[in-house]
Amino acid sequence: MSESLRFAEDKLQIIALLFMAAVYTTRLIWLFRFKAGRDRQPTTATDPNNKTKAVLWSWSIIAMPWAMESQRRHFFFYLQFVFFHLGVVASITLSFIIPYWPQLLQPLGVQRAVQFFIGMAFAVACLRVVRRVSKPVLRKISSPDDYFSLVLLTVWFFFALLSVPNSTAGGEAILLTFFWLTAFFLVYVPFSKISHYLYYPITRYYFGKTMGHRGTFPLRRAA
Amino acid sequence: MSEHIQSHKAKKVIDRLGKKLNRQIVGSMVACVHCGMCTESCHYVLSHPDDPTMAPAYKADRIRKLFKRHYDWTGRVFPWWVKAGTVNTDQDLEELKDFVFGRCTNCRRCSVNCPMGVDFAVFNRMARGLLVSVGVMPEGVAVVSKDQWEVGNQMGVLREEYLDTLEWLSDELKDEFGEDAAIPIDKPDPNIVYTINPREVKYDPRTISDAAKIFHAARENWTMPSDGWDMTNFGLFSGDDELGGAVANRVYEKVVELRGKKLVMSECGHGYRSTRCEGPNWAARDITFEMESSVITMLRYVKEGRIKLDKSKNNLSYTYHDSCNFARSCGMTEEPRELLNLVVSDFREMHPNRAENYCCTGGGGAMSMSEYTPRRLKSAKVKADQLKATGAKVVVTSCHNCVDGLNDLIKHYQLDMKVMQLVNLVSTALVVEKKAEEPVAPVAAKPAAQKTLAGRTLLVIDDEPDVCVFLSTVLEDNGAKVFVANDGPTGLALARQHKPDLITLDLSMPGQDGGQVFDAIRRDSQLQKTRVCIITGKPDLRRLIYGREVARPEGYLDKPVDEKTLLLNVRKIIEATEMVQ
Repeated sequence: MSESLRFAEDKLQIIALLFMAAVYTTRLIWLFRFKAGRDRQPTTATDPNNKTKAVLWSWSIIAMPWAMESQRRHFFFYLQFVFFHLGVVASITLSFIIPYWPQLLQPLGVQRAVQFFIGMAFAVACLRVVRRVSKPVLRKISSPDDYFSLVLLTVWFFFALLSVPNSTAGGEAILLTFFWLTAFFLVYVPFSKISHYLYYPITRYYFGKTMGHRGTFPLRRAA
Repeated sequence: MSEHIQSHKAKKVIDRLGKKLNRQIVGSMVACVHCGMCTESCHYVLSHPDDPTMAPAYKADRIRKLFKRHYDWTGRVFPWWVKAGTVNTDQDLEELKDFVFGRCTNCRRCSVNCPMGVDFAVFNRMARGLLVSVGVMPEGVAVVSKDQWEVGNQMGVLREEYLDTLEWLSDELKDEFGEDAAIPIDKPDPNIVYTINPREVKYDPRTISDAAKIFHAARENWTMPSDGWDMTNFGLFSGDDELGGAVANRVYEKVVELRGKKLVMSECGHGYRSTRCEGPNWAARDITFEMESSVITMLRYVKEGRIKLDKSKNNLSYTYHDSCNFARSCGMTEEPRELLNLVVSDFREMHPNRAENYCCTGGGGAMSMSEYTPRRLKSAKVKADQLKATGAKVVVTSCHNCVDGLNDLIKHYQLDMKVMQLVNLVSTALVVEKKAEEPVAPVAAKPAAQKTLAGRTLLVIDDEPDVCVFLSTVLEDNGAKVFVANDGPTGLALARQHKPDLITLDLSMPGQDGGQVFDAIRRDSQLQKTRVCIITGKPDLRRLIYGREVARPEGYLDKPVDEKTLLLNVRKIIEATEMVQ
């Protein structure tokens, strides 16, 4: 392994991670400086403990495709969402396994499984690029960050897919590209919409809390 | 355009935006990933499929871009990268006004369909408040807000008119059910203080008497207040928290003054939400008494056996429309259904329903913004289709705003349906003892063909011959002498000649429109005290009356008007005003 690759898969990742953590910490401090509105009135829910239930329900909503009309109506889109994010998890995990626990990738079965998830994510990402440029509503609302984030992830998935075997037999270019892309991704993420995962627990908490206090969440549907 | 040439109003909007931001709003601003999942939840999108600017995410970005440009990191440094932007001119503010007032009813349907929990309705309301604070708002919003500030209710109903109406209704109730059926006013230490929507005074006083019947049958210790009786709150629609708090406080203060145990609100979605849920926050006040919707009150009466119902009296087919404010913002979906199933036999659920139901399209103050009527009615197609699919003859709703919105779309899409509220159905189904007949039957019994308008002179001004025939026939059949005019000038001449007890006035007429005729009546020294009841098929034309510096009409009715409603309102206007003279 060359010094460049050793640096890219180890120190570079640590620097990028620390940078991301520092920015995220600052971001959260900034967000929590804003005062939270509160519900002064008594609850309109029949169960006085509904707020807690509603927050949990709200957090879990992405794991309950039946719970929201938008997810029910677009189940294929929801499945894409699932595979996309499983691919993200797999690719991030890969960036830790390769430098620190490479032996875990030796069994072929493990390689194929990881490649399956990343490959599916790559396919979904390609579909998403097509969707974003072809649907008039999405073109209208998309910013350069939306396009760039999607392209960045698509390319990253591609190199992650190729990096799974962790082989330098044909040269180090693929691994080097994967790790430099990962580092760039970590540095870019806090300034882009990709950081939505940081906000998800917060927005869903407050929305769930308010709607739970009002008795709206968990949503009831007719039989 | 560079920021240093921002207009004064635009600068104020940006400055005040910073003061409005709280954690929830900031979260909604930063969390959107532009996934587009909210798109098809919006009735504006479904009815304008070729217009991507109707998408909730696009509408939200009109506001979000300001936040990004002035308060968020990437947007301040690389605004073009995240489509951050600002408002510079008053024209920019007018364009923003079109989005926040004219393309969204704040129904929150997009919010409950957003995977990230972005609550667009809340920051859309915030944006409305920012524009209102610099005087940028639809005319109807300005007029109604002014009425609520200055007169104390949304429709500018004067105290005397309100009390006269209650007194007149009391007399009717006493005639039918006995002395103890009267409507108590400012009775101290009641269990219930009952507050209403001013629309009930002006448009549909039957809902007040229906509620009174129910309270009487339940032997309730209740009262209506002489002021602080308007539980509606335009602050919810205008985004003006100060107005919201002031209006809510008026109601709360009165309940405290009367030492009421419970504040009950008549069926009004936004009124319930504003008074029950938002008012304490706007007014920064902890409430010491209970608050509930009249739907809950009526349901409790049935469950406790305090009232008996005969559901065979409601023998049509019924469906239920969930008002956005009731269902999505206050979680009240099961109680109205439970009550409805107790008063009707043929109930048909519409789909989707409950918190996923579609907006009536008249919410968020839309009914007062006549400039957006064509767009609103087009967006109502999805609701019209939903109603049609049920096959029901009646759509029941627990919201006065929805009554207006649904009536409008029923007329526009020519659906064979009518709109009712739960209080009407409960009152109809009520099994109640009426006042015992006096032994001397020929005098006490009311003959079927009593001429209730005997001795009255009425003038009908309407350009539609069919309407004139209908109105004059009904009024003449009830004893009135009726003159008819098909245009404004003829109407004014007849009014000066015959000095009618009441004029029914259409708004949409060629030449001199109804607003101009009304103005002429009020400014004529001979006619200014003449009672006027507007009868119009285009409620958005009420704007012809708004803002005129003259006394308001005594009543409003929507076409098509049925005989019973016409007679009740004509009699109420004449007899109630005569009671003070």
